[in-house]
Amino acid sequence: MGSYYLSRRLVQAIVTIAMIVALNFVLFRLMPGSPERATIRIPGVSAEVYQQTRARLGLDKAIFPDQFVAYIGTTLQGDLGYSYKYRGQPVSEVIGSRVWPTLILFGLGELVAIVAGLALGAYTGWRRGGPVDYAGNGLSLILYSMPYFLLGMILLVIFGVGLGWFPVSGMFNVGASYASFTDQLFDFARHLALPLATVSLGLIGQYSILMRSSIIETLGEDYVTTARAKGLTESHVLRNHAIPNALLPTVSLIAINLGYLIAGAITAEVVFNWPGLGTLAVEALTSRDYPVLQGIFLFLSVAVVLANLAADLIYGLLDPRVQA
Amino acid sequence: MTAPTLTADRLRSERLRLRLRGWRDFARRFSRRREGIVGAAIIAFFAVLAVVPELIVGPLETATTASGTRLAAPDLTHVLGTDELGRDVLNLTVHGARISMVIGLLATLVTVSIGVFIGIVAGYIGGWIDTVLMRITDFFLVLPTFVLALILAPILREIIGTSSTIAGIRMTLIVIIIVIGVTSWASTARIVRSQTLSIKERAFVDRARVIGGGSGHIMTHHVLPNVVGLIVANTVLTFAGAILTETTLSFIGLGDPFQPSWGQLLDAARSSGAPGLGAWWYFMPPGVCIVLIVLAFTLVGGALDDVLNPRLRARR
Repeated sequence: MGSYYLSRRLVQAIVTIAMIVALNFVLFRLMPGSPERATIRIPGVSAEVYQQTRARLGLDKAIFPDQFVAYIGTTLQGDLGYSYKYRGQPVSEVIGSRVWPTLILFGLGELVAIVAGLALGAYTGWRRGGPVDYAGNGLSLILYSMPYFLLGMILLVIFGVGLGWFPVSGMFNVGASYASFTDQLFDFARHLALPLATVSLGLIGQYSILMRSSIIETLGEDYVTTARAKGLTESHVLRNHAIPNALLPTVSLIAINLGYLIAGAITAEVVFNWPGLGTLAVEALTSRDYPVLQGIFLFLSVAVVLANLAADLIYGLLDPRVQA
Repeated sequence: MTAPTLTADRLRSERLRLRLRGWRDFARRFSRRREGIVGAAIIAFFAVLAVVPELIVGPLETATTASGTRLAAPDLTHVLGTDELGRDVLNLTVHGARISMVIGLLATLVTVSIGVFIGIVAGYIGGWIDTVLMRITDFFLVLPTFVLALILAPILREIIGTSSTIAGIRMTLIVIIIVIGVTSWASTARIVRSQTLSIKERAFVDRARVIGGGSGHIMTHHVLPNVVGLIVANTVLTFAGAILTETTLSFIGLGDPFQPSWGQLLDAARSSGAPGLGAWWYFMPPGVCIVLIVLAFTLVGGALDDVLNPRLRARR
């Protein structure tokens, strides 16, 4: 991996983050319910008070460059404004308290889905046309066509309400006190089971489809034919020749799709009242808490850009052919 | 003086004959793809539901015209049970087909129009315009566009209001259509740009330029018709994505209760607590419809891709 590749990717990521921050500024100015309009709607407010409020909020200065520069400065310090719904709590605190549940749910979900989805895709692609391929590919297509929250509702009805195996809402039992940390962890795991199953099943479909077509393409390559002609066993060819090469395009596709997937996966939280960013986004939308909504957008966008950067760098390490 | 018209007539009929042969050839190859036929049949089924829902289940039931008791399980009068207002779920689901399909279709048109416009302009004009447009496109490809849609929807609602209708479609749904279009054009733009780059090197574009055709004329009359044929498969796949996005946006409360799409029904089912009460009949019918239609568009899109882009055919 050359330093040119590295620096190019870094510059790209920085430019993209700068664009996100700028877009966020523009969106904030377009938002309904700006502080200015809120002040002017109070009956009997004097022109003097109105002017003072504008001056205090910096709204009397020009949008560009004064307001824009002030915005960049505060954003860089992690100041994302104040939530309407949570009575003036800073947006960064509101979001911070909701990051961990999403990170655990989505991180574990990704992990399970990547391992299981890639394995399923590799196997179905290898056994193309066989019964496992038909069943596996059909299942993947159905999972791919299903919104996460629908999958969640189905699992909830079957395993939560019908069989009663798992709790269906929240992260812990309400009002429970735990004898030990292990008890608490066990309760958490029971609550995690259904949301985690939803997120991973939803992702498995997409990853398995990607991996299947990638492995089919790889199996047609000349070096695979050569490996077979050398008399290597089929499973050796698959494990040591086909899969490593088929993994590469899949890695970058997973990274590219990340932003799209996160967005869909956070809707699974809503079904199970999982107290993460997805539930927070929907709460903010219904209560018109726009600063929080934008904070989530900023946070998720930057997270996705950084994850993409990481994937690019890993890709560069894995594939020595990558130079430009 | 009759000779030129004769030639023109012959030319026209020859062109028609070739086009017919092209269609027949396409139909023959498409009909060999079993999954494409299955998908097309499913789409046709839902298209019928979307065109004449009143003939099948009568007018859309509302809170005042509800025909059953609340959240009743399926029986002989209500084959799919009722919702929390006593409305027949079969009635709601069949009417939901029209709303979901119309939003999906219009959102696809907006998406593809933006994508084609940006792709052709970037690819044909090139230079710094190309660089800027492609930076923006890549930006939209990386962005979690769904969260952006959550922010754009309230802004748009504020700007264009929610009370009026356009051609019988309520403004809330117009907002959804625009939001989907604005957030999902990027991959189409990428594909169109790369096609434009190859088309603009062909001889007929040079000829058009030599006889004095301007850039605008060449883009609309020479590049556009050639690009359109190449993005048919992509458009069908965009349709699947548009329906999924619409469903998700409606599910989190951006839909319209007066014109319920399938996603809106799922939202109503969740907020009325149907899953927790085990009322599967409320959310399964719209849910199964969504899966079927998205699956159908995905299958048809894949089959079309195989048939229309033969270079890739050998791979599969």
